[in-house]
This record gives sequence, C-alpha cells and structure tokens, in this order.
Amino acid sequence: MLGPDVSGYLIVSAFLFATGALGVLVRRSPLIVLLSLEIMLNGANLALIAFSRHFGRGDGQIFALAVMAVAASEVVVGLGLIVAMARRRLDLDVDKLSTLRG
Amino acid sequence: MTPAAWVCLFLPLGSAGLITALGTSISRRTAGWIATLACAGSFVAAFVSFVAMLGREPENRSELSTAWTWLTGGDFRVGFSILTDPLSMMMMLIVAGVGSLIVAYSIGYMDGDDEERRYFAYMSLFVFSMLMLVQGGNLLLLLVGWGLVGLSSYLLIGFWHHRPEAVAAAKKAFIMNAFGDATMALGFFLLIQKTGTLDYAPVFQRADGLSSTVLNLVALGLLGGAVAKSAQLPLQTWLPDAMEGPTPVSALIHAATMVTAGVYLIVRTHPLFELAPRVEDLAAGLGAATLLMAGLIALVQTDIKRVIAYSTMSQIGYMFLGAGIGAYANAMFHLMTHAFFKALLFLAAGIVIHALSGEQDIRKMGGLRALMPRTWLAMLVGGLALTGVPPLSGFFSKDSILAAALDRGWYGDLLFAAGLVGAFLTGLYTFRMLFVVFGGEQSAYVQEHPPHAHGDAVARWSMYLTVGALTVLAVFGGWFQFAGVWTPITDWLDPVARPLVEASNAQEAIASVLAVVLGLAGIAVAWWLYSARRARVPKPSRVLERKFYFDELYAGIFYWPAVALTKLFYWVVEGPLVGGSIRGVTDVARWSGSRTRALQTGLVRSYVLALGGGVAVLIVVFVAVR
Amino acid sequence: MIIASVSNVVVWAVWVAAALACLGSAVAVVSFSNPFYSALALIGNLGSLAVLYLLLSAEFVAAAQVLVYAGAVMVMFLFVIAYLGGRADAPWAGGPTWQAGAAIVAAGALFVEIVVVIASKADGRLSSSAEIRRSFGSPGEIGRLFLTDHLLAFEITSVVLLVAAVGGVILGSHAREESALAPGTGDADARA
Repeated sequence: MLGPDVSGYLIVSAFLFATGALGVLVRRSPLIVLLSLEIMLNGANLALIAFSRHFGRGDGQIFALAVMAVAASEVVVGLGLIVAMARRRLDLDVDKLSTLRG
Repeated sequence: MTPAAWVCLFLPLGSAGLITALGTSISRRTAGWIATLACAGSFVAAFVSFVAMLGREPENRSELSTAWTWLTGGDFRVGFSILTDPLSMMMMLIVAGVGSLIVAYSIGYMDGDDEERRYFAYMSLFVFSMLMLVQGGNLLLLLVGWGLVGLSSYLLIGFWHHRPEAVAAAKKAFIMNAFGDATMALGFFLLIQKTGTLDYAPVFQRADGLSSTVLNLVALGLLGGAVAKSAQLPLQTWLPDAMEGPTPVSALIHAATMVTAGVYLIVRTHPLFELAPRVEDLAAGLGAATLLMAGLIALVQTDIKRVIAYSTMSQIGYMFLGAGIGAYANAMFHLMTHAFFKALLFLAAGIVIHALSGEQDIRKMGGLRALMPRTWLAMLVGGLALTGVPPLSGFFSKDSILAAALDRGWYGDLLFAAGLVGAFLTGLYTFRMLFVVFGGEQSAYVQEHPPHAHGDAVARWSMYLTVGALTVLAVFGGWFQFAGVWTPITDWLDPVARPLVEASNAQEAIASVLAVVLGLAGIAVAWWLYSARRARVPKPSRVLERKFYFDELYAGIFYWPAVALTKLFYWVVEGPLVGGSIRGVTDVARWSGSRTRALQTGLVRSYVLALGGGVAVLIVVFVAVR
Repeated sequence: MIIASVSNVVVWAVWVAAALACLGSAVAVVSFSNPFYSALALIGNLGSLAVLYLLLSAEFVAAAQVLVYAGAVMVMFLFVIAYLGGRADAPWAGGPTWQAGAAIVAAGALFVEIVVVIASKADGRLSSSAEIRRSFGSPGEIGRLFLTDHLLAFEITSVVLLVAAVGGVILGSHAREESALAPGTGDADARA
C-alpha cells in the first residue's frame, strides 16, 4: 500500500476520538456537544475504513455507512430536542438542565 | 349409667352454645330459662345415672367411657373419656344440683342487667367446665376442666367489665390460678415421663414403684394446683377480690363448686398423696393454717360478701385438713354440706344487697330483721349450719373431720386444736355479721332506703324459691351421715377412696361436744359484743385489717420486681436495641440513599465523565487481564 | 485505483496535509466559542476525512461522507444554529475547573490507551496490508455486499432512519402546537 500503513490512520482516528470526547466533557452548549459527538463518530469511521483496507474486505465500509446513517438519525433527534428546548425558552446549558437529579 | 353421664356433661355446653348462637334474638329472660333448664336437665341426667349406679354392686360401680382418642404421642395416648364412679357421681349431683338452683336464682338476681344473656352463657360454660373437671376420665381432661373453670371464673368475676376493680380482680384470680395450673402441669409431665400415661388407674398402679423424690414432686405439683384453685395459704389472696363478681357467681363458683375442686383433686389422686405422706401432711397443715387465718380476718371484714368469702376460705381449710389426714369421705361430706349452706348464705345475702339497692357495707345495715323476716330466717339457718349446731348439716360434717384428726397422732391433735379454735371463730364472725346486719335498730341508711323487692314476680319468686330450697337442704343435708352410727357416704365412697383414719366413737363424741360448745361460745360472744351491748364495730388491728399483709408481700415479691425488670428492659433493650436497630436500619438506608443521590447531579457532563473514566479504566483492566 | 497511478511521495504529502487538517479542525470544533465557527470547522473536518478515505481506496464512502455528512447533516446543523442565534459559550471561562482537568486527563488517557493497546496487540501484523482488487470500495462492491452479506443491516438501517424521521416530525410538531396555544392567540381552539 502506498503512503503510510494502517497504524498512521489509526493514530489519527484515536486522536479524533479523544478530541471528540474532550469536547463532550468540556463544552456546555448542547449544540457543541452534538458536534463533538460527530467528531467521535467520524474517528470511529476512520478506524473502520482503515481496517477494511488493511484486511482487504469491504465489511468495514458497510459498517461505516451504517454508522453514518445512525449518526444522521441521532443528529435529527438531538437537534429536534434542542429546538424544543429553545422554544420553551430554556437555557441551552447542559449544566443548568439538571432537573433529573436526585 | 354412662350415657346419662354424657348427657349430663354436654347439656350445659349446649346451653352455652345455644345462648351464644341465638344472641339478641331471644329475650334476656329466655336466656335465663335456657340455662336453668339445661342445668336442671343435667341434674336429672346425673340423678338417672346415680340410680343406675345404685343398682350395681359396689365393686362394679366404676365405668370409664372413651369417646375417641384425643392425643397420641409415641406410646402415650389420651382419650376423651369420662369416668363414672361414686366420687364423680357425688360431685356431679352437687354441681348440677346446686348449680341449677343458683342459675335459677340468677334469673331473679340478674333481672334487668343489660348483659344477662352473656351472663347465662358464661354460667352454663362454667357448669360444663366443672362437670368436665369432675367427670374427666384422666388427668389431662381434669386439667382441661381445671383450666376452663379458671376461664369461666375470670369471665364471671370481670362480668361488669366497666368496673376497673372487677377487671383487676378477674386478672388477679386468673394469674394466681395460672400459677397453680403450671405446678400441676409440671407434675403431669413428671407422671408422663415416669409412668407413660395419665389415666387414673395405670398411674396409681405404676406410681408405687417410683422414687420418693418423684412422688413428692408430683404431689407437690398437684397440691400447688389445689391450693391455688381452692384459695388456701399461700395462694389465697384472690378469693376476697373475686367478690367483685355478681353474688350468684360468688355463690356458685367461689363457694359451692370451683373452690372445692382442690379438695376433689386431692381425694381423686389420693393414692399419689398417700405415697407422699409428707405432702399430705403439708396439705392438712395448710388447711389448718388457712382456716385459722381466714377466721381471724373474717372478724374484721365490713363487706357482707367478704365475710362469707373468708368463711368459705376457712371451711375449705377444714376440707383440706380432712383430705390431708386421709378422711376422704368426711372431707367430701363437708364439701357437700358446705355447698348447701354457703350457697344459701350467699344467695340470702344477695337478696339483702338487692333490697338495699346494692349496699354491701354491714356498718350501714341494721335492724333488718323486722323488715325482711324470711331472709333473716334463711341466713340464720345458714349461719347455724355453718357454725355446726346440731341438727343442721354442718354439725355432722365438720365434727367428723375433727374427730378423724384425733386418730392421727400428735400432728392430728395439733390439727384438732386448730379446728376447735376455728369453730369458735366461725361462730363469732358469722353471728357478728348476722347481728350487725339484722339485729338492733334500723340504721340511718336503712331508714332512708327501705328494703324493696327487686324485679317482677317471676324474678322475686325465683329468688325466694331457690333460697327456700337451699334452706331445706342446709337443714336436712347433713342427715346423710352420722359418724359412727350410720355412714352411707363413707360406704358409698369406699371403692374409690378408702379413708386412712377412723375415729372411735369416743373420739367422735369428744370432738362433737367440744366443737358444738365452742361454736355456741362464739355465738354467745358475738351476741354480747354486737347485739346486747350493740357495741360499735371496733377498730380492728392493723394486721387483720391488711389481711396479714399477704397482698403487700406478693406485690413486693412479684409485682414490683416485674415492673422494675420491664422498665429495665424497656430502657436498655427495647429502646436502644430494638427501636435503635430499626431506626438504625432506616438511618443507614437513608444515609446511603443520600450519598448515592449525590451522584445524581443531573449534569450530563459529569455522567459522561464517569462513562469516559470508566471506559479508560476498563481498557486497562482488559488489557492487563489478557 | 487512482492511487496506483501516483507515486508514494505524493501520497505521503497528501496524507500529511489531510491528517493535519483533520486534527486541526477537530481541535477547532472543540475550542471555538461561537457555534457557527465550530460547525464550519466540522465541515472542514469532514472534508479532510473524505480525502483520507480516498487514500484508503474507499471511494463510495468518501462520496457518501461528503454528500450525507457534510452536505445534509451539517446543513441541518447550520440551519439550527442560524435559528437559535448562535449563542456564545466560552468553554474556558471561569478558569480551569476540576471537571475540565479531569476531562483532559480522561481524554488523554483514552488516546494513549487506544494507541498502546493497538500497538501491543498488533504484533507487527499491521505493517503489511492486503492486496486489493480494482473494484475494492467501488459502489458496485458496496451494493453487492449490502444486498448479500449484510442485508439485515441494510434493512434495519432503513428502519432506524424511518424512526428518526418520525421522531423529528413529532418533536417539531409538538412545539408548533405549544406556540399556537401561547397567550394572546384566542382562536387557537377554533382552529385545532
């Protein structure tokens, strides 16, 4: 294979995943949290595609496409929630949305 | 013979059940009639059985009839059986006869009471229980009857349950009797262990081979029960309090029948007592001590019923004395005559109490002789019979016990002396009561509350007729035996309870003369103190007034330590341990819940952080483990 | 097989550029306070990922990535951000909190762990990749796989999409009724 071998792609994928996790943990706006979630999913997708190329089988790409579809659905629902919250004039701050507390 | 005995036993139970089942659908008077007819029917059945028994040879007069096997445990079996023999026959006749008279009297006495039906149901239950006691074919059924009469006594003493004194008295009676029940049960356990049975005949046969320790223990257990039930020293304090119950209850249960169950027990199990002679002597000694103590206390009582109650205690002392020395027939004879004249005294006193609208203090009474002549006559007969004046019934029975005591060596002489003193006391306290109540001028109270008849015609005649019947019995009831000359009762009981002692004619004569003289002396002193001089009832000594401090003694020994112990347990165990542990559990649960709740911050970020951290840790774990 | 006709050096250069862009845009998404900028950075991220997919011979996935992700999903995001008005949210305001510190530690730990685990378990098997045919990653290949080996996944994915669509409609319509019943509109009941 031309270019770097799989391990390079995997390092990129791991970095993407960790960055996405950091974003989810640190940011307070639910919108940004969703965006960070997208980054994590994409990191996983990259790993899948890389391994698919490494083993020469197309299953990884199928899996990646399925992940993409699921991510899209999740974004739909998530954004719907955010819009509903905005309509109710709720503060878009995950720290303040803590009614489900003990 | 036996079928009639079964009928006799179960008729009162049927009456109790019927009255209970019919409840308020029958009138109160009807309940009274049901109970009376049942008890009368019981007496008729007993009489039929008696006649049948008369037709048999003396050796052939015992019959044990078992309905079904009640308990089995290994080799041990107990059947639901009744024993029809001369001793139980005698008791059946007394219980059913006097019982039906008293129940009939109750129709008049309890007339107008709100809970008359309950009363008659309880009375029927009591008659059944007493019959079960005397007819029981083995020791276990005797114990069943024993417990049931204790229950009926409790129910009837506390009949007017809204009176706290009545409730307290009922509890006291029941608890003291429970003590006796416990000692009896322990004795029975020993018998089961050593002889393997509780039927009378096998037990008596096998008891011969047991060690003296076992026999003494068994006899002591039985004596404990007898002493409790018959209100003898040292378990006598419940009987005066039991006077809180209605007067017919006092007459039937606490004079004629239940309290005499102890005497019956000793006579029934006399083979066991004869094998434990020290305990038998103890029984006689307790009887003598009780008759003296009760006689002394009766001298200072101011409640008419309590005078008669202490008199009962004293007379049962005589019976215990007789049974303890082995004069079984004499003791049973005295039981019979005592039932007559003591019931008579109680019922007549009941008429007086009702006539004076419930007043029982003799200091408030006086001069009733002119106003209630027939009642005066009835009580006079009863009092004379009690004191043992010939030819009334008490004379024949009491003196024969005293005479038998002379046949017993130095101990018997001691008992004889005690009995004589008791005779003097009996005359004194009985006629003190009679003279104070009936003699002299009318007291202020009597003038303000002239005696009136109670209830309608049926009620009044039920009371008068039964008292009249008992008067007749008190007069002629002693003519069943004249010691030394004509002894049908001793002969009747011979197959069952052969007496150990027999007084010679000379001893009989001495005893009779001395007893009568002393009794009359007591009457004379009472006359001098209370009638001729009309002395004011003097202030009694502290000791007598406090009934020899027995109540205080028992309170100190049993009650206060129990209270202190429960308080201790409450503060040490119940509070911290039981309550504390429960509270501790809830506190721990609540605390752990609050700590766990702190994790539920509601903040999404902390949840995700926890997730991320957990994943990181898990990866390390999986890698390291692999 | 575009890659085959190009030399190794070019591939390396493209790879480095795409990887750096990917990583940089990811950090940018997390760091910007303006959500609009974050969304744009994410679009850049998606684009560089598509390039990386191409380098891995996954042509169809790369195209899908650009069309679906960057085209549809991100547009949706931008719509919502525009609707909401781009509220600013300064992530590092108020100084470093213990949560932020713990988050950095956790994220760092994740990164390190993933790399270490894969490196230790790989045993050198990652150095040589398999040979692939020309049709690897082509739409035909993808289609064939979808309709034979992974038919179930295909069908279930369509169900998931349906559910998401329905959910979106419900979430949206609920809000519309709410605003119709707001105070001031008296004829809401007549129309409902």
